[in-house]
Amino acid sequence: NIDPESLLPKLPSPDELRPFPTVCATQYVGHKGRVRTVSVSPCGRYLASGGDDGTVRVWALFTGRQVWSCKFSSDEAVNIVRWRPGRDALILTACAGDSVYFVVPLSLCDPNHEVASRAVLDDGFGYATTSSTTTPTTKPTSSKWTRPTQKLQDAGVLLQITLNAPPKSLSYHRRGDYFSTVSPASTSTAVSIHTLSKHLTQHPFRRLRGLAQTTSFHPSKALFFLATRQSVRVYDLQAQNLVKTLQPGAKWISSLDVHPLGDNLLLGSYDRRLLWHDLDLSLTPYKTLRYHSKAIRAVKFHPNSGAVPLFADCSDDGSVQIFHGKVVGDGMENATIVPLKVLKGHRVTAGLGVLDLDWHPKEPWCVSAGADGRCRLWC
Amino acid sequence: MATEDATAPAQQRQSQVRIHLHTKSGDIELPQDTGSILVSTELKRYQLSTLVNRLLETDKPLPLEFLINGQFLRTSLDEFLTKNGISAETTLSVEYVKALIPPIYSASYEHDDWISSVDVRSQRILSGSYDGLLRVWNMSSEVVGTGQSHTSSIKAAKFISPTQIASSGMDRTIRIWKYEDAQAAGAASLTPTLELYGHKASVDNIAVHGNSSRVLSASADHSIGLWSTKKAEAPAAPENLLPSANKRRKLSNAKQLPQRGPLSMLQGHQSQVGDVCFDEKDATVGYSASWDHSVKTWDLTTSTCVDTRTTAQSLFSICHLPESSLLATGTSARHITLIDPRASATTISAMTLRGHTNAVVSLARDPNTSYQMVSGSHDGTCRVWDIRSVRSEASDQVGESVYVIERDSAKGKRVVAGEGVKVFSVCWDKDVGIVSGSEDKQLQINSSKPSS
Ligand SMILES: [Mg+2]
Repeated sequence: NIDPESLLPKLPSPDELRPFPTVCATQYVGHKGRVRTVSVSPCGRYLASGGDDGTVRVWALFTGRQVWSCKFSSDEAVNIVRWRPGRDALILTACAGDSVYFVVPLSLCDPNHEVASRAVLDDGFGYATTSSTTTPTTKPTSSKWTRPTQKLQDAGVLLQITLNAPPKSLSYHRRGDYFSTVSPASTSTAVSIHTLSKHLTQHPFRRLRGLAQTTSFHPSKALFFLATRQSVRVYDLQAQNLVKTLQPGAKWISSLDVHPLGDNLLLGSYDRRLLWHDLDLSLTPYKTLRYHSKAIRAVKFHPNSGAVPLFADCSDDGSVQIFHGKVVGDGMENATIVPLKVLKGHRVTAGLGVLDLDWHPKEPWCVSAGADGRCRLWC
Repeated sequence: MATEDATAPAQQRQSQVRIHLHTKSGDIELPQDTGSILVSTELKRYQLSTLVNRLLETDKPLPLEFLINGQFLRTSLDEFLTKNGISAETTLSVEYVKALIPPIYSASYEHDDWISSVDVRSQRILSGSYDGLLRVWNMSSEVVGTGQSHTSSIKAAKFISPTQIASSGMDRTIRIWKYEDAQAAGAASLTPTLELYGHKASVDNIAVHGNSSRVLSASADHSIGLWSTKKAEAPAAPENLLPSANKRRKLSNAKQLPQRGPLSMLQGHQSQVGDVCFDEKDATVGYSASWDHSVKTWDLTTSTCVDTRTTAQSLFSICHLPESSLLATGTSARHITLIDPRASATTISAMTLRGHTNAVVSLARDPNTSYQMVSGSHDGTCRVWDIRSVRSEASDQVGESVYVIERDSAKGKRVVAGEGVKVFSVCWDKDVGIVSGSEDKQLQINSSKPSS
């Protein structure tokens, strides 16, 4: 008589899986109104945040000192801030209203770095005019790449893209030249793929069934993930075809993140589900986790997953949850998932809790954006 | 107590225990070794202190503290033995030390912005602030001199001598200042004499060595700079790192400070360098602590890294304890690790000091003894540690703080993550005491001298 339980592999205890974030190390105080978005710079020294007060702020990560800020709008929220990947330049991308802005926070760069960063943004000027006759297969769009107002330029905001509708999601390709935006309010041009070096915007998914929510690039292959409310389509950008459609079983997907090794995917949903998809295994989730009492707003794998096999999600219930999620590279073994820690501290404000999160590029530290007007660093 | 008594009756209670008294301080050694003496287990610190004073035949009683197995005696010997499961049959080795004086709050000097750094020399207190200003204070909480030259927040400031100061900051420069002292408010002068260029990011900490005119700098650009404070000795400034306004200033013919470059830039860390220090006994040796988890030892004559010790956390602060040949380093993981940098050392961590609840960003040694130091943390406290006070725990030697210094501005409240009261810098002066600078914009002085 064998107890079937004894045949299951034993999950390691949280104590054996240290280090992972357990306490709040810094609060970032300054935003008026909800903080909607956070991003840690590729060098790990800065936190960028944006929110309902229409400002983008950059903070020194540990001291919590605000080192740069800019007001983008007096009546529209900053919905997204994302640092461009790569250490060659220091470029922050921010979405407010219908626009995507590119910022080189001047005081934070040495002179050489500033020149390199400006060049990345300026190289595309002139490209559209000289090569307009050879525009690729997709039709030209009404997106405009321009210099922002002089006032913004003086603050280090050097490039602006104006889209048809407000972008609510933005994700970069690992190399930092391609990035995609989702503007749900624009039906046929909801999903855009932009090429920074060419100042080029394309809309490859004009006849999309379902409302687009968020997107992501595969870290190494030419694959593109597009989440609608209830499914995730995986496209091959080179062959320009649909590879497969995942069926996570969620009612309304809020967020998506691809594991740094590329074979696993996390989804968060407004109906409180956290879903782990193993892309080699099945079109349905490998694990469905229901730990939150309110909507999940964001999910994120640690970018340095080899050394720090963690992932996290955040919710309107006011908590950030930390999980161990070890992926073995050879694909022979399924991921081990262990819930590690519930981080509490953000105050639930008008029914909203933690709206976004991000990881430090190397360390087991994460940051969160609260509807309570604050960001927090967890170590 | 009641429960202890209830479970203890079967055990034979000893009313006396043999102790062997000894000290490491030469000036309070017993005239002759008393061997082991039999004392009542009822004795507490005070009675033991009286006993040793009698043996020492002191004129004025000298307050003493007692260490048994690395712990300060805070109860009766009987309770100590019970708590630690030590049999009263054994002879206790009891080390006595001069009593530690609790650091008493004495004053706060208000600033306009966060205080990133503090230093003390000859009854003058130096502060560097996020508002970009250096201030020198007298002991009556007056600013005697103000220095304005940095174009952004100051992150570090130190006296090189009573008449020379070094500072560094987010403008990526190090500046050398001439200081002319005066007693009255505003009467002293702080004049910048040299601008040092070479770093590509914020210069977050510096160490100075006056006799050799050397400065070490720790920067977020992953490198350590070695600099001379002498204009004639310093190489030319790297042209590509000078601010672009420089050209304009040249044209406008405004008075310009001499600009110089580093003697050398020490490369090797994989992430930002949190702190640097000189070896207290040999200024040709430097130590650095980095966010990349490692402590490096540098031979400054050849500018080479001669040793790397890698820990498990990001390191934000470092200080050398020469008598014990240890380096103390403050971590992101809320503790202090003591590292033996000598090649013969076999373990990375010689000891771990626990108690802070947030990152430990500043360390300074007690100028009076080689066993104590003070730490400043983002939890909004400073803690005083005695490395003799240590217990074994699993594979580690663990110490706890002897005193906790709260922010006066916190009014006894503990806030999450030290919000509003994070301590950024602490120093310990023989005369003035423990001086700390914080996010609360207050420079706080805690005197560690017995009040007269
Ligand atoms: Mg400092």
